[in-house]
Amino acid sequence: MNAIQIENVTKKYGNVTALDNVSFSFEFGKIYGFLGRNGAGKSTLINLIANRIFTDEGRILIDGLPAQENMEVHEKIFCMSEADLYDTSLKIRDHFKWIDRFYDSFDREKAFRIAEQFHLDTGKKFKALSKGYQSIFKLTVALALHVPYVIFDEPVLGLDANHRELFYDLLLQDFESQERTIIIATHLIEEVANIIEEVVLIDRGKVLLQENVDALLEKGYCVSGLASEVDGYCQGKNVIGRDELGGLKLAYILGEKDPLPQNSRLQLSAMNLQKLFVKLTEKGGN
Amino acid sequence: MKKLKTVIQYECLTSFKYIWIFYAIQYACVALITLIVAISVGSTEQVGTNCLEINSLIYVGILGVLGFHEDFKMLIQNGFTRRYIFLATFSLFAFISAIMALVDTVVGNLLHALSENYFSMYGGIYGYGNVFANWVWLFCVYLFVCSLFYLGVLVINRMGKTVSLFLGVILAGIVLLLVALFRFVLSGEVLSRLGKLALNAMGFMGDGSINLLFPVLTFLLVTVLLGLGSYAVIRRTELRG
Repeated sequence: MNAIQIENVTKKYGNVTALDNVSFSFEFGKIYGFLGRNGAGKSTLINLIANRIFTDEGRILIDGLPAQENMEVHEKIFCMSEADLYDTSLKIRDHFKWIDRFYDSFDREKAFRIAEQFHLDTGKKFKALSKGYQSIFKLTVALALHVPYVIFDEPVLGLDANHRELFYDLLLQDFESQERTIIIATHLIEEVANIIEEVVLIDRGKVLLQENVDALLEKGYCVSGLASEVDGYCQGKNVIGRDELGGLKLAYILGEKDPLPQNSRLQLSAMNLQKLFVKLTEKGGN
Repeated sequence: MKKLKTVIQYECLTSFKYIWIFYAIQYACVALITLIVAISVGSTEQVGTNCLEINSLIYVGILGVLGFHEDFKMLIQNGFTRRYIFLATFSLFAFISAIMALVDTVVGNLLHALSENYFSMYGGIYGYGNVFANWVWLFCVYLFVCSLFYLGVLVINRMGKTVSLFLGVILAGIVLLLVALFRFVLSGEVLSRLGKLALNAMGFMGDGSINLLFPVLTFLLVTVLLGLGSYAVIRRTELRG
């Protein structure tokens, strides 16, 4: 199967269960948004996929091959990390040189082209770059690597609006030219809402949902009006959140949209991905 | 194997230049000390810079520590397995140890030839009869120090600071216990045998001759044991922070 398969994965840190028997797949050829609040378990799962830490239970397969301690998956996956793991004393062009030797699928010329588009000075050492340019270097490497699975962990951290736009453009161009799986873990949900096809939402170590973005947005909506009328409309529905202001109420619903009763003063409106995310994860969150 | 070769090359080539920076600083310091002594005393006979290899021992010790801290992160980021990282790190230790042992052997013998007051570490223990044996011995000592520090930092990383401190205390306790054991418990005959064994391990035979192979084999054996220990730890080491 062409996918990253996560099978019954549990990971604990002392008494804290970071991931609790998680099972799902990132299929080949899709752009995923991997969303969750701080401490939800996103980074833990990414680190497990990238063989940086080990599972306590369960396993992770990449195209059917175990992800743990397996050089056979070296040319299959790359994880751009939020954490700075690169040799800080090496110049950027030397990093490109070595990554080119580490990976058969690294396009060094493309890396220099992307670096130029971002005005990244390749003569500078990693440690001499600003936080934003360190992120640019890391995403440049990820974009120039033609592996089937690329994970971006907070890719636009420290980037200004122009650079973020450029990154999303390059990402889409890259995806159009070469089919692969792109997984974006980010807190900037609305920025990636138009890019991602599927969303995986993780909360307190469990997968809350995995769904196509369009289908999800189709199912999520708000109803607003007088509290009593809203309550009446919401009966039997999957209400994921409520906001109240005086006698007015706003309910967030996930599910089939029933038509409003005749002469109803209620209003139905669409819910964006960020609001959906917030409402799904706000109970008991930090 | 191609990737293993590449990662070994990465380890060796990115560390190579630092050896020369280290030697440049070391010999600049020695030259400065010599100059100051020569100006103030009027001769260079009083320059107390014997056993320059001790500086190299400190350097390779630092290399053992950094071999984990810096390179583990970089190589795990680039998708390498712990087995590859371990093999590449030990290749780096061997490479650096071989070069530094060569430089220190040549310099040590040269300085001794120029001034009989200068003694290298090896020359002071085994004499100056065999330059090749000098290089092999130093190589083994440097490799041993790298491996020791590498294992130490791996254990500290794995256990965490608090547990490592407790381990350090226990280790110190064991040392004290051994001292007490040697002084008060073991008989004179046993102590004499242990002493002979230690001397033999370092090449000093009972008949007064020196066997240059024994210390090499001893250091290699200990290094292999440290290496096996390091591998056992690193294969379950997780990236932190």
